[in-house]
Amino acid sequence: MENLTEILKRLHYAKVEFVLIGGLASRHYGVTLVTEDVDVCARFTPENLRRIEAALKDFHPQHRLTANKLPLELTDELCRSLKNIYLTTDLGILDCLSEVAGVGNFDEVLKKSELKNFPFGQCYVLGIGALIDAKKTVGRPHDLIAVSQLMAIKEKKEQQKELFD
Amino acid sequence: MIDEETLAQMNGKYVCPPDAGPAWRAAMEAGIDMSLIEENLRRSPWERLLANESALKLIRELQKVKPA
Repeated sequence: MENLTEILKRLHYAKVEFVLIGGLASRHYGVTLVTEDVDVCARFTPENLRRIEAALKDFHPQHRLTANKLPLELTDELCRSLKNIYLTTDLGILDCLSEVAGVGNFDEVLKKSELKNFPFGQCYVLGIGALIDAKKTVGRPHDLIAVSQLMAIKEKKEQQKELFD
Repeated sequence: MIDEETLAQMNGKYVCPPDAGPAWRAAMEAGIDMSLIEENLRRSPWERLLANESALKLIRELQKVKPA
Protein backbone atom coordinates (compact mmCIF):
# COMPACT_ATOMS: atom_id res chain seq x y z
CA MET A 1 0.00 0.00 0.00
CA GLU A 2 1.32 3.43 -0.91
CA ASN A 3 2.57 5.84 1.71
CA LEU A 4 3.40 8.95 -0.27
CA THR A 5 4.04 11.15 2.75
CA GLU A 6 6.61 8.61 3.95
CA ILE A 7 8.49 9.09 0.66
CA LEU A 8 8.62 12.82 1.35
CA LYS A 9 9.81 12.18 4.87
CA ARG A 10 12.54 9.80 3.68
CA LEU A 11 13.80 12.32 1.12
CA HIS A 12 13.87 15.00 3.80
CA TYR A 13 15.76 12.85 6.32
CA ALA A 14 18.28 11.86 3.65
CA LYS A 15 18.90 15.58 3.01
CA VAL A 16 17.90 15.32 -0.65
CA GLU A 17 17.73 18.72 -2.34
CA PHE A 18 14.26 18.67 -3.85
CA VAL A 19 11.13 20.70 -4.48
CA LEU A 20 7.69 19.09 -4.27
CA ILE A 21 5.83 19.63 -7.55
CA GLY A 22 2.91 17.99 -9.39
CA GLY A 23 -0.21 16.49 -7.93
CA LEU A 24 0.93 16.31 -4.32
CA ALA A 25 1.96 19.98 -4.40
CA SER A 26 -1.48 20.72 -5.83
CA ARG A 27 -3.07 18.73 -2.99
CA HIS A 28 -0.98 20.72 -0.53
CA TYR A 29 -2.65 23.89 -1.81
CA GLY A 30 -6.14 22.39 -1.66
CA VAL A 31 -6.82 20.79 -5.04
CA THR A 32 -9.28 17.90 -4.65
CA LEU A 33 -7.86 15.59 -7.34
CA VAL A 34 -6.34 12.39 -5.97
CA THR A 35 -2.75 11.78 -6.98
CA GLU A 36 -1.04 8.41 -7.09
CA ASP A 37 2.58 9.48 -7.05
CA VAL A 38 5.14 11.87 -5.65
CA ASP A 39 6.71 14.24 -8.18
CA VAL A 40 9.77 16.20 -7.21
CA CYS A 41 12.26 18.37 -9.01
CA ALA A 42 15.70 17.50 -7.68
CA ARG A 43 19.23 18.75 -8.19
CA PHE A 44 20.83 16.20 -10.49
CA THR A 45 24.30 16.12 -9.02
CA PRO A 46 25.90 12.75 -8.24
CA GLU A 47 25.79 13.57 -4.51
CA ASN A 48 22.11 14.37 -4.54
CA LEU A 49 21.20 11.36 -6.68
CA ARG A 50 23.09 9.16 -4.22
CA ARG A 51 21.02 10.70 -1.43
CA ILE A 52 17.83 9.72 -3.29
CA GLU A 53 19.17 6.20 -3.64
CA ALA A 54 20.03 6.07 0.06
CA ALA A 55 16.62 7.43 1.06
CA LEU A 56 14.82 4.62 -0.73
CA LYS A 57 17.25 1.72 -0.42
CA ASP A 58 15.03 -0.22 2.00
CA PHE A 59 11.99 0.04 -0.28
CA HIS A 60 13.12 -1.79 -3.45
CA PRO A 61 13.33 1.17 -5.83
CA GLN A 62 13.11 0.17 -9.49
CA HIS A 63 13.18 2.17 -12.71
CA ARG A 64 9.47 1.77 -13.38
CA LEU A 65 9.59 2.54 -17.10
CA THR A 66 12.29 -0.01 -17.95
CA ALA A 67 11.07 -3.27 -19.44
CA ASN A 68 12.55 -5.42 -16.69
CA LYS A 69 11.98 -2.95 -13.85
CA LEU A 70 15.71 -2.53 -13.30
CA PRO A 71 16.69 -1.80 -9.71
CA LEU A 72 17.98 1.64 -8.83
CA GLU A 73 21.72 1.03 -8.69
CA LEU A 74 23.50 4.25 -9.47
CA THR A 75 26.92 4.31 -11.05
CA ASP A 76 29.06 7.34 -11.81
CA GLU A 77 28.16 7.00 -15.47
CA LEU A 78 24.41 6.80 -14.72
CA CYS A 79 24.65 9.81 -12.44
CA ARG A 80 26.12 11.79 -15.34
CA SER A 81 23.55 10.54 -17.88
CA LEU A 82 20.23 10.64 -16.07
CA LYS A 83 17.92 13.60 -16.64
CA ASN A 84 14.97 12.12 -14.79
CA ILE A 85 14.38 9.12 -12.53
CA TYR A 86 11.02 7.35 -12.62
CA LEU A 87 10.79 4.93 -9.72
CA THR A 88 8.40 2.46 -8.27
CA THR A 89 9.04 1.62 -4.61
CA ASP A 90 7.29 -0.24 -1.80
CA LEU A 91 6.07 3.18 -0.62
CA GLY A 92 4.67 4.18 -4.00
CA ILE A 93 5.78 5.92 -7.16
CA LEU A 94 8.38 8.66 -7.08
CA ASP A 95 9.29 10.67 -10.16
CA CYS A 96 12.37 12.86 -9.87
CA LEU A 97 12.82 15.46 -12.59
CA SER A 98 15.83 17.66 -13.24
CA GLU A 99 13.63 20.42 -14.68
CA VAL A 100 9.98 21.39 -14.83
CA ALA A 101 8.35 22.31 -18.14
CA GLY A 102 7.07 25.87 -18.00
CA VAL A 103 9.31 26.74 -15.04
CA GLY A 104 12.90 25.70 -15.74
CA ASN A 105 15.82 23.86 -14.18
CA PHE A 106 16.24 23.06 -10.49
CA ASP A 107 17.62 26.49 -9.58
CA GLU A 108 14.73 28.24 -11.32
CA VAL A 109 12.24 25.88 -9.68
CA LEU A 110 13.83 26.51 -6.29
CA LYS A 111 13.56 30.29 -6.79
CA LYS A 112 9.83 29.91 -7.39
CA SER A 113 9.30 27.65 -4.38
CA GLU A 114 8.31 28.25 -0.79
CA LEU A 115 9.62 26.54 2.33
CA LYS A 116 6.63 24.85 3.98
CA ASN A 117 6.19 23.19 7.36
CA PHE A 118 5.54 19.46 7.55
CA PRO A 119 5.31 17.37 10.73
CA PHE A 120 8.82 16.01 10.06
CA GLY A 121 10.46 19.30 9.09
CA GLN A 122 10.50 21.89 6.33
CA CYS A 123 10.42 21.14 2.60
CA TYR A 124 10.26 23.28 -0.49
CA VAL A 125 6.99 23.25 -2.41
CA LEU A 126 6.67 24.85 -5.83
CA GLY A 127 4.79 28.15 -5.48
CA ILE A 128 1.18 28.12 -6.58
CA GLY A 129 1.79 30.53 -9.49
CA ALA A 130 4.63 28.43 -10.89
CA LEU A 131 2.60 25.27 -10.34
CA ILE A 132 -0.17 26.78 -12.47
CA ASP A 133 2.40 27.64 -15.18
CA ALA A 134 3.78 24.09 -15.10
CA LYS A 135 0.38 22.45 -15.31
CA LYS A 136 -0.72 24.77 -18.12
CA THR A 137 2.42 23.84 -20.05
CA VAL A 138 1.78 20.10 -19.70
CA GLY A 139 -1.87 20.68 -20.53
CA ARG A 140 -3.35 17.19 -20.12
CA PRO A 141 -7.09 17.18 -19.30
CA HIS A 142 -6.54 16.51 -15.58
CA ASP A 143 -3.82 19.19 -15.46
CA LEU A 144 -6.30 21.73 -16.81
CA ILE A 145 -8.85 20.76 -14.14
CA ALA A 146 -6.09 21.27 -11.57
CA VAL A 147 -5.25 24.65 -13.15
CA SER A 148 -8.85 25.75 -12.81
CA GLN A 149 -8.87 24.73 -9.13
CA LEU A 150 -5.43 26.22 -8.44
CA MET A 151 -6.43 29.56 -9.95
CA ALA A 152 -9.54 29.69 -7.74
CA ILE A 153 -7.46 28.71 -4.68
CA LYS A 154 -4.76 31.27 -5.53
CA GLU A 155 -7.41 33.95 -5.71
CA LYS A 156 -8.78 32.89 -2.32
CA LYS A 157 -5.24 32.72 -0.93
CA GLU A 158 -4.78 36.35 -1.84
CA GLN A 159 -8.03 37.17 0.02
CA GLN A 160 -7.43 34.91 3.06
CA LYS A 161 -3.73 34.35 3.61
CA GLU A 162 -4.21 32.35 6.85
CA LEU A 163 -5.65 29.41 4.88
CA PHE A 164 -2.27 28.68 3.35
CA ASP A 165 0.37 29.26 6.02
CA MET B 1 -41.16 24.81 7.90
CA ILE B 2 -38.10 24.73 5.66
CA ASP B 3 -37.90 27.55 3.14
CA GLU B 4 -37.34 26.87 -0.53
CA GLU B 5 -33.72 28.10 -0.57
CA THR B 6 -32.70 25.89 2.38
CA LEU B 7 -34.40 22.92 0.76
CA ALA B 8 -32.52 23.63 -2.48
CA GLN B 9 -29.25 23.70 -0.54
CA MET B 10 -30.16 20.45 1.20
CA ASN B 11 -30.68 19.02 -2.26
CA GLY B 12 -27.22 20.06 -3.36
CA LYS B 13 -27.44 23.66 -4.51
CA TYR B 14 -24.05 25.32 -4.00
CA VAL B 15 -24.19 28.90 -2.80
CA CYS B 16 -21.25 30.81 -4.19
CA PRO B 17 -19.72 33.09 -1.53
CA PRO B 18 -20.63 36.72 -2.25
CA ASP B 19 -16.95 37.71 -2.17
CA ALA B 20 -15.94 35.01 -4.67
CA GLY B 21 -13.65 36.36 -7.36
CA PRO B 22 -13.68 35.68 -11.11
CA ALA B 23 -11.39 32.61 -10.91
CA TRP B 24 -13.59 31.01 -8.26
CA ARG B 25 -16.70 31.70 -10.33
CA ALA B 26 -15.01 30.44 -13.50
CA ALA B 27 -14.07 27.16 -11.81
CA MET B 28 -17.64 26.82 -10.52
CA GLU B 29 -19.05 27.47 -13.99
CA ALA B 30 -16.63 24.89 -15.42
CA GLY B 31 -18.39 22.31 -13.27
CA ILE B 32 -15.93 21.94 -10.42
CA ASP B 33 -17.57 21.14 -7.08
CA MET B 34 -16.36 24.18 -5.16
CA SER B 35 -17.92 22.90 -1.94
CA LEU B 36 -15.26 20.14 -1.95
CA ILE B 37 -12.52 22.73 -2.36
CA GLU B 38 -13.98 24.74 0.52
CA GLU B 39 -13.93 21.57 2.66
CA ASN B 40 -10.35 20.88 1.64
CA LEU B 41 -9.26 24.43 2.48
CA ARG B 42 -10.61 24.00 6.02
CA ARG B 43 -7.95 21.31 6.50
CA SER B 44 -4.29 22.03 7.13
CA PRO B 45 -1.95 21.39 4.17
CA TRP B 46 -0.68 18.25 5.91
CA GLU B 47 -4.25 17.01 6.45
CA ARG B 48 -4.86 17.56 2.73
CA LEU B 49 -1.97 15.20 1.94
CA LEU B 50 -3.23 12.61 4.41
CA ALA B 51 -6.71 12.85 2.88
CA ASN B 52 -5.11 12.03 -0.47
CA GLU B 53 -3.60 8.89 1.06
CA SER B 54 -6.94 7.86 2.53
CA ALA B 55 -8.59 8.31 -0.87
CA LEU B 56 -5.80 6.35 -2.53
CA LYS B 57 -6.20 3.55 0.00
CA LEU B 58 -9.92 3.39 -0.75
CA ILE B 59 -9.21 3.28 -4.50
CA ARG B 60 -6.80 0.37 -3.99
CA GLU B 61 -9.36 -1.49 -1.85
CA LEU B 62 -12.00 -1.03 -4.54
CA GLN B 63 -9.58 -2.20 -7.22
CA LYS B 64 -9.21 -5.48 -5.30
CA VAL B 65 -12.97 -6.13 -5.41
CA LYS B 66 -13.83 -8.55 -8.19
CA PRO B 67 -16.87 -7.71 -10.30
CA ALA B 68 -19.97 -9.67 -9.22
